[in-house]
Amino acid sequence: MRKEEFPVLQLEHVTFRYYENAKRNILDDVSLSILAGGITVLMGSSGCGKSTLAAVSCGLLPENGGYLEQGEILLYGKNLAEMNQSRRAAYVTMMFQNPDLQFCMDTLRKEMQFCLENICVPSSEMDSRIEKAVRELGVEELLDKKLHSLSGGEKQKAALCCLYVMESKCMILDEPFANIDEEGTRELIQLLTKMKKLRNQTIIVIDHRMKHWLDIVDEMILLGEGGKVLARGITRENIEECYPLFQKEGVFYPGVCQRTTPVRNMEMAACHLDQVSILVEAGRGRWKRKDRRRQLLHQVNVRFPKGAMTAILGPSGCGKTTLFLAMLRQISYEGNIQFGEKAWTKKEQFQHMGIVFQNPANQFITQNVRQEVESSIMQWNPGIKDEECACLADRMMEEYGLLRFHRYSPYMLSQGQQRRLAVLSVLAGKQNILLLDEPTYGQDYRSTTAIMEQLTEKIQKDGLTVIFTTHDEELAHAWADKIYRVQEQKLQEEMI
Amino acid sequence: MKLEKLNPSVKAATVLCSVIMLSFQYNITLNLTVFFSCLLLLLFFSNARIKHIIVILAPALLAAFGMFMMGLYYAKGNSITSAELTELSAVPYAVRAAMSTNLKSALQLGTRILSYAGLGILFALSTDGEEFISSLMHQCHLSPKFAYGILAAFHLMPSMVREFSQARLALRTRGMHVGPFSLKPVFAMLVNSIRWSESMAMAMESKGFAGNEPRTFYSVTKVHWYDLVFSVVCIGSILIFI
Repeated sequence: MRKEEFPVLQLEHVTFRYYENAKRNILDDVSLSILAGGITVLMGSSGCGKSTLAAVSCGLLPENGGYLEQGEILLYGKNLAEMNQSRRAAYVTMMFQNPDLQFCMDTLRKEMQFCLENICVPSSEMDSRIEKAVRELGVEELLDKKLHSLSGGEKQKAALCCLYVMESKCMILDEPFANIDEEGTRELIQLLTKMKKLRNQTIIVIDHRMKHWLDIVDEMILLGEGGKVLARGITRENIEECYPLFQKEGVFYPGVCQRTTPVRNMEMAACHLDQVSILVEAGRGRWKRKDRRRQLLHQVNVRFPKGAMTAILGPSGCGKTTLFLAMLRQISYEGNIQFGEKAWTKKEQFQHMGIVFQNPANQFITQNVRQEVESSIMQWNPGIKDEECACLADRMMEEYGLLRFHRYSPYMLSQGQQRRLAVLSVLAGKQNILLLDEPTYGQDYRSTTAIMEQLTEKIQKDGLTVIFTTHDEELAHAWADKIYRVQEQKLQEEMI
Repeated sequence: MKLEKLNPSVKAATVLCSVIMLSFQYNITLNLTVFFSCLLLLLFFSNARIKHIIVILAPALLAAFGMFMMGLYYAKGNSITSAELTELSAVPYAVRAAMSTNLKSALQLGTRILSYAGLGILFALSTDGEEFISSLMHQCHLSPKFAYGILAAFHLMPSMVREFSQARLALRTRGMHVGPFSLKPVFAMLVNSIRWSESMAMAMESKGFAGNEPRTFYSVTKVHWYDLVFSVVCIGSILIFI
């Protein structure tokens, strides 16, 4: 529980947008104050301005772009705009959702030295502070490993460690679990609990899923469009009163993922894996190729049912994405992967199979959302009339809640919106097998449901076969007809 | 005493000075001496692997050979007397004809490339990138903003390579034809890199990094007496040769 009752962070009538002439304010007259001590979670649907709010509170925006029309941000009663980065860091530091983009050095030790240099700690004290921090958090083994060789969860732990060693009074975490698996999430939660206990730092978290936080959170705040506060003071005790509000805002809450569709008929197989083994090269460097190979899957025999949805569960790095690449014949494998009766050539393969990757930004082929959808429609429906195509595109964008962004560049959308667009543009094709790599990563409940419903409809109408990987067990159980889990280099079938 | 121990900035300045001095010399023996002494220094006074030396020298040898041929056939002048030529009767006539134009300047050009290559790898294979940047910061007053920017970009390289191959794959799965020289995946990668650089800058700033504010340093690279000795000996011996 909170010990002190003074505000750490105060936002007063903050209005912010990315371009001076933009019609839409990302933050629209937001006033919010957060009390010291404990963990506060800010929730809201994708694209409601949560991440922007965090960056503005740290003073990262508008310094790195954007336009602050009005408002003031106070950190411990002091105006943020009057401090330099080094002094701000004594009060507030931030952790981001992408674990790859937080380090400018190659090992955690050097990164922590960099952090301490920034806040002008004398070099004689650095070693002892670093040793103390890693000992307290129990992450000694990460200290001298190359950061790029760590898993996503370990990278996020390392990032937390950096914030911890700086001993700032308040930390803001922007969707810290967005890119890591359940295992990593659990470990991070443990680490945060430890930090809370050791130092009683104020921890502000931005997340659209509360399930991991319920046990340790002190207060939850629900944000709506434009960053407006819709409800605050939500705790474990009174959370049920807020379910209707969560539902309306499209935010996940416990038990929201319920199975609505019956399990489909799965007699036909769309794809057979016969004794498939996959070896990959682990680590970089091509000098000693053989030593670095690692077995991901060993003699796997499975069938993916046609016209149904199959989920593949498993921790990150266990070979889920690699299996997809093997199915697309992008990497070598042993054994046999069969689709129906006749073998496809490489070119035919892509006409029959579509894939949406974890990073959807790589898949865009045009520079605007409408063109992106239209070019997909054109490609798979040659000879379609322009008006017809535009009309179809409108309808599809509407369904996915992207219509109001139709003139934006795909690269300007939020992560969640980008993924929706990627799914949409692949679904515009006539593929009959669709592979989705983490289709609902970092998305709120509303867009998750939108994507899954869209897929369900496609399955019913066109007999599409969907295979998706995910970390989210609830999601798999709510939507999939068949669930496989990657365990000990095999795919084990799991009961629904 | 290893080459790695030397201050990177002093080493870089020495190499640069030597290169500039060699550019104004037309001395084949000098060029070859520089090349072989660089190789010897690398082999016996550094941790550079022979494999790396060979891999890097291969294209340099090719370039040197190219320059040699160019000098041989296209340079103007005659450095070889006809009396000398007749002694080489075993050599085919075409080569003798070419040699009559200019063997010496061809050798000058070819060995010069070799000496450059030698000096280049002497620096490159015995210097740690991070140390070099840190030394540039302390000895050459490079602003920390650039120094850490370069380091951050350097450490992003593995991610960029991965991103590029993923972008190629992603585009192919959208039914696009992606050849080895297609620009589309490069575009996707560059857009990503710009976004990355923004997030990276924000991550660094949120950790208190401010380009030009005062900061402390965990370790400071210094110039020692042996750095100066190395520099004086290298440049001095080239000067003596001249």
